Amino acid sequence: MNNSSKFVLGTALLLLATGSLAQAQSSDDESLRMTALEALITAPPDRALPIVDKVLAGNHSAELKERALFILSQMETPESQARLLAYANDSDGELQVEAIRMIGIGGDKDAMASLGEIYRNGDADVREAVLEAYLIANDATAVFEIAANTEDEDEFSEAVQMLGAMGAHDELRELRGRAGLSESLIEAYAISGDAESLRELAMDSSNPEMQERAIESLGIVGGDDVNKTLMEIYASAANEDIKEAAVEGLFIAGHDEGVLELYRNADDPAEKRELLEYLVLMDSEVVWDLIDSAFEESE
Amino acid sequence: MNDRIDDLIAEHQADVHEAPPAVVQRWHDALDDAAAREQIAARPARSDFHPRSFVMGLAIAATLALGIAIGVFIGDDGTDTPVSVMTASTSAGDMPDALSRGLQVHFRDSREQIMSLPDSEDRTMLVLRIIEQNRMFENVANSSDAPKLARVLRAFEPILLQLAADDIAPADAEALQAQLAFELNVMLTKLNVGSSDDSHTT
Repeated sequence: MNNSSKFVLGTALLLLATGSLAQAQSSDDESLRMTALEALITAPPDRALPIVDKVLAGNHSAELKERALFILSQMETPESQARLLAYANDSDGELQVEAIRMIGIGGDKDAMASLGEIYRNGDADVREAVLEAYLIANDATAVFEIAANTEDEDEFSEAVQMLGAMGAHDELRELRGRAGLSESLIEAYAISGDAESLRELAMDSSNPEMQERAIESLGIVGGDDVNKTLMEIYASAANEDIKEAAVEGLFIAGHDEGVLELYRNADDPAEKRELLEYLVLMDSEVVWDLIDSAFEESE
Repeated sequence: MNDRIDDLIAEHQADVHEAPPAVVQRWHDALDDAAAREQIAARPARSDFHPRSFVMGLAIAATLALGIAIGVFIGDDGTDTPVSVMTASTSAGDMPDALSRGLQVHFRDSREQIMSLPDSEDRTMLVLRIIEQNRMFENVANSSDAPKLARVLRAFEPILLQLAADDIAPADAEALQAQLAFELNVMLTKLNVGSSDDSHTT
């Protein structure tokens, strides 16, 4: 530790350890405490831990205590992890939520394993925090278990969305086999970029509503292959709903060249009008030439 | 050293595990599209064109979710060995110099940008840019076998996403800004101390 760090640390220890500071109320003092707490990161854990304990047990603001939890998360010692787990289990409100987040940041396997019980016993905020901790720790298996074992539709949806954000293709595909198809799953496939699953669903007409959702959602994944698929779906659409879903997908994918091609190939004025509206929405450069030529043709 | 940072970034960008550029681009475009849809929806209907709410929701959800779709390809973290001092594990000492220096710049720039976010639509785009940068460093941290650092970076993203929302209350935004500034400062200090210790010992 260099001299400046020692000075900052010494100041921090002094500020946080003195009772007079703990009783101070002004925002300046609060700011000073924050700075002091921040400086604790330069301290060895055996020096910093008692001070963090003091902050957490003292009559300090919730914000200061939450910052203290972040310092704990960076200590990465068994003692600091035990403190975090205790706060995740026994505190409530924002402090509990923050402690759960810090367990995710710490990634300690034992602490992570404890989150399952906290999730089961927690309210909506706690459950959301646990899911976020799993995301931070990249623990897709834990999220999958929640999704696979719940009967609650909202809970399933939230877990599936988290799996989508984690890009957990395998888990999401397995959920389809277990729980059946749902809008949440389709959305998660899109978010995770699983074009393969969406393409398969887009070709399956057994559930028209889900088929349309899958076609639209392909646009979220995007890319040349998806664009090609959407063009093919549009060209071979069995009904107007599928057509509309395909052009929605192209819109979301931003494939204005494809929509332009559809426009040029369309014979029906209503279809042309709708495709032109999409091109306008897509802010496509070509649209002005089309509008110009449309007026020329009418003159 | 700057060349090494550039090389590392270039190497990372060429990594097959990175999100496809088209997806990143769409992430930006989705916001514009959604805004365009809202503007159109606010006008009187001109035809039988009916944008579907599901698609709208999906586009926005994808925008937000892509923001937190980080660490998709992260490998097994393994068991982390406890360390004796706080600065030992995520410090500059156990990661490439280029990553350490790049991170210091990222943390410093992010902190400054977050503390002076404009109160306008520009705020959303600025925060999304920070997220993009943050994700890049998170992926580099993963490829550099620094999973603890990657987790910290990943933990910033949900907060950044909340900050990016255009309907966030000013008081909530202020609280999130303060939280991020604190955590970025801590990480910056940690890296600086690690670098300083390294320079003293070499």
